[in-house]
Amino acid sequence: MKILGRNKLMTPVIIQTLKTHPVILALIALVVMFSGLYPERFLTPLNFSTILRQLVTLTLFALGPSIVVVTGSLDLSYIGIWMLGGILVWLLMPILGMFSILVIPLLGLVTGLLIGVIQVKAKIPSFILTLSLLVTYWGLTAALSGGYPRPVRGYEFITAPLIRYLPTAFLWSIPITIAAVFIMKRTRIGTYLYAIGSNEEGARLAGINVDKYKILAFTLSGLFTGIGSIILFQHLGGAAPVELNLNNVVWPLVAIVLGGTPLVGGSGGPQRTILGALTFTVVYRGLLLSLLHPEAIQLLVGLLLIVSIVVGARGLKGVTIT
Amino acid sequence: MARLLLSREWLQKNMTTVGPMVAVIAIIAGFQAINPFFLSYNGIITLVYAMSYFLIAACGLTFVIMMGSFDFSVVSLLKLAALLCVLYIDKLGFLVIPLALLTSVGFGFINGLLVAKFNVPSFMATLGISVVVEGIALYLSKGFLHIIYDETFRVLATTFIAGLPSIFYWAMGIWIISTFISMFMPFGRRTYAVGGNPIGAGLSGINVERHRIYVFMLSSLFGGLAGVLYMAQMGGGSMLIGADMPIPLFASVVAGGTALTGGVGGPHRTLLGAIIITWLQAGMLMLAIGRDTQMVTFGLIALGMSIATTDRRRILIIK
Repeated sequence: MKILGRNKLMTPVIIQTLKTHPVILALIALVVMFSGLYPERFLTPLNFSTILRQLVTLTLFALGPSIVVVTGSLDLSYIGIWMLGGILVWLLMPILGMFSILVIPLLGLVTGLLIGVIQVKAKIPSFILTLSLLVTYWGLTAALSGGYPRPVRGYEFITAPLIRYLPTAFLWSIPITIAAVFIMKRTRIGTYLYAIGSNEEGARLAGINVDKYKILAFTLSGLFTGIGSIILFQHLGGAAPVELNLNNVVWPLVAIVLGGTPLVGGSGGPQRTILGALTFTVVYRGLLLSLLHPEAIQLLVGLLLIVSIVVGARGLKGVTIT
Repeated sequence: MARLLLSREWLQKNMTTVGPMVAVIAIIAGFQAINPFFLSYNGIITLVYAMSYFLIAACGLTFVIMMGSFDFSVVSLLKLAALLCVLYIDKLGFLVIPLALLTSVGFGFINGLLVAKFNVPSFMATLGISVVVEGIALYLSKGFLHIIYDETFRVLATTFIAGLPSIFYWAMGIWIISTFISMFMPFGRRTYAVGGNPIGAGLSGINVERHRIYVFMLSSLFGGLAGVLYMAQMGGGSMLIGADMPIPLFASVVAGGTALTGGVGGPHRTLLGAIIITWLQAGMLMLAIGRDTQMVTFGLIALGMSIATTDRRRILIIK
């Protein structure tokens, strides 16, 4: 009896969850599909381990920007923070020793603050602002590194394997994610950011200091990207990269949009971004393990982005879009 | 007259025109002083080659920015059009040109559809389309370098008329047409109106959705045309075509004085912007200044000019 009663309670909760997070259905369908099509390649511990590894990359890059997307703006600077941060670690290594890794979150914090202040005071669309900054950071990275990837030794302990098949970086990403979700869901800052995203003018009239909280959103985004980049720096090879890869910029965006955070803001958030990142990673691994041409995969990823933004922009009639 | 020209009001009023002109003169004088080769005949040919296809693509992007939107896919469409030309020139002959242009316009139509009908923010829609276009380009070219052996195709851009290559006249033609459209035709008026105030434009009887689609088609058409002429000029290429172009292209539009908020500026200004950016790039190349320094420069120009051209009195909310 007790179990039955519980089931009665649980069913509406599950249906409600699926209604608000349709991506879960897609995720289950995809896993079933790939497992059915080629179980010998998809259902292996190694593959799941790889999925987790890619999930970490995507989650840590996308967490910060998803805070900004909630307010309705966009932050593309994450790759720039990761690249420039990596090369600063290499530069400062002889001076600061092991503490030089802390320069990455500091850079993230400063970058976020800078973006926020410029966006609020100079009123430039955040997309262009962060894109220009990203390219500037890339140029700086290439100039400082002299054009070579610069490996930095000594931080291997960050991702030293603890449990077989479970990437340590994944364990690191859990507290970071929880912190982001906590800020967005359980603090006043989060509530205000959602309010700004759904109606900025209304939030202003309700007495929220919109400018301050927008700057705070960008700063938080930069900080989370910076903290994540400490893990990613070691996770992605322990060297500062010098080439900008468009895929690195686009995929976290796909994860955010796919997770169900609309680009106009007001709903969604980091907790959804994890789902989006997981779905994207499963799709990507599934396609990669299929016998499709590697060239075709990029095409399909682009189509996935288009479909998810069209679905995400549903019901926005009457909203002024630029 | 002289006092009128130098008065403060006049300067304030025309800052967006005077500023770029001063910048152009400074660039020419600066590089000429460092490197006497800059303004020799061969130097000018280099500058003209660097500027021409760039200007065509920038004119298209200007219309979109004038309308208050953004088109990220121009560079990808330039790449796709160029690769279509080199891949199918042997099979189709000169029919590749309409093929490349129609493909570009088709993608422009999808861009417009996504923005106008599905209410997707323009940068996101065009970013998605640009990933798809890059995918198609990669699929078709397989990542290899392709070279055109058909000399008649290359005549399009490399015939010398009155001492300058023909691509220069193409670019000037497109620039004059764009300026004419923006200044004297209803299409241009509507673009300014939609950029200035989309709701007001809709209320005054402009079909805003349809106009947005048209503008995205126009910008993609110019992007495709720039790609065709680029291929005729270069005679070959791979996926790396336009790899560093997006930010300089955008910087050239805002450096000319077209504000991101829409409704101000126009293609006539983009000529100066394109000259500033491409001549700066060419001059830096002549001085063997690397790609990294160039990227920092263009990123900062894009940032600084976006701040300088935006009229902050009008904006209440910016995302």
